[in-house]
Amino acid sequence: MDMIRVVNGYKRFGKDEVLKNINLEVKKGEVVSIIGPSGSGKSTLLRCISRLEKMDDGIIEIEGVKIDNHSEGGILRRLKGNSNKNSSKVGMVFQNFNLFPHKTVLENIIEAPIIVNKMKRDEAVEIAEELLKKVNLFDKKDFYPSKISGGQKQRAAIARALAMKPDIMLLDEPTSALDPELVGEVLNVIKDLAKENLTMVIVTHEMAFAREVSDRVIFMDRGEIIEDAPPEKIFENPDNQRIRAFLSKVM
Amino acid sequence: MQYILDVTSFILKGSVITFKLYLVTAIFSVPLGALCALGKISRFRILRWFLGLYTWVFRGTPLMFQLFFTYYALPVFNIKLEPFTAAAVTYSINYAAYLTEIFRAGIESIDKGQYEAAKVLGMNYAQTMWRIILPQTIKRVIPPVSNEAISLIKDTALIAAIGMPDLLRAAKEVLVRDFTITPFFIASVLYLIITSFIVLIFRKIEKRYSVHE
Repeated sequence: MDMIRVVNGYKRFGKDEVLKNINLEVKKGEVVSIIGPSGSGKSTLLRCISRLEKMDDGIIEIEGVKIDNHSEGGILRRLKGNSNKNSSKVGMVFQNFNLFPHKTVLENIIEAPIIVNKMKRDEAVEIAEELLKKVNLFDKKDFYPSKISGGQKQRAAIARALAMKPDIMLLDEPTSALDPELVGEVLNVIKDLAKENLTMVIVTHEMAFAREVSDRVIFMDRGEIIEDAPPEKIFENPDNQRIRAFLSKVM
Repeated sequence: MQYILDVTSFILKGSVITFKLYLVTAIFSVPLGALCALGKISRFRILRWFLGLYTWVFRGTPLMFQLFFTYYALPVFNIKLEPFTAAAVTYSINYAAYLTEIFRAGIESIDKGQYEAAKVLGMNYAQTMWRIILPQTIKRVIPPVSNEAISLIKDTALIAAIGMPDLLRAAKEVLVRDFTITPFFIASVLYLIITSFIVLIFRKIEKRYSVHE
């Protein structure tokens, strides 16, 4: 069974067609990177899979279950239709971290397990501390997000997502908002997760990373999937002109 | 000196109503404003429209006029209120209108990413508002709310218009009786002491909510 399956995905913002004829399968334990020029629909696709956006046509299945297309309206109104089902299956990491600024690193991580999963606080703390050690952030657990670096924030955000024990992790340009010297520490954490057989879809501009960590690389341009192939094929021998043009610009 | 003490104690006696009105208004207008703010960002169009009308009318007409309306015009519709009740109701509804807009703006100023993070973690609307959005909103609305809190203490002076003895009116009575402006100085010192106290309290609250910065 596919962890993620998108069939004929289509979405537009007004007249702008941002996703066209998207077909995609991700298997259990697979790490898939999505690359492509900005505005190509990479992030929108990820946001549709995480139910933050709704497609106008097509089907998305998570672990064989079709996800509801939620009703129209702003995020606030859509939030009201948020049932907790499915939520723990898909974790998401954002470009801008979106940590809760009024909570410490530890509180950020234990919040959802306690509030959503009704876990006992002690148990949630235990899991959170384990995760913080894993992302090498244990010494910052009582710090507020404003007091730590961007790389530390993103590692905290990854730990927060992992605390819900997701079957799938979606990472939306996890290093794009970071200073160059902080990119490595975040990528290393993601590489470790890839080794643990966690199913991941990563939108990234880090080509060397995508090549190293991915089982498959998807190249998107103007709302379409142009190529879906193993990294060696995409990076060494791309047969599409647009991929070559893109790679020559970014590498 | 004895004169000043006498006058001060007389004015303070008059100010009991001022404090009472202040407290009642504060206690009712804050929750009312918070509820109306949540209504204003809700999906119910009619509710939003009605609340829009409410804040438009109550922010757009003078408080003194609203006070007159409650006290002198409502009896025409057979609703007769005691002066204090009339004042308390008017002030609470009037201040709630301002607070509605302050809270609404505060809620809307919170980054969309906070809602998204809460959503992907599986939190529902109530959990998101209560645990994530409102705590951050409180911090942001403290400065405008403290402005309102200071305005309110001064606005209480308007209740003299419906014949109630407040701080300022007590001062005026002494002034008329004794032909001296000393009571006005005393009254202004009292107002300043009260507002300083309010400012102090809000500074404390602000500090408490700023620990994460």
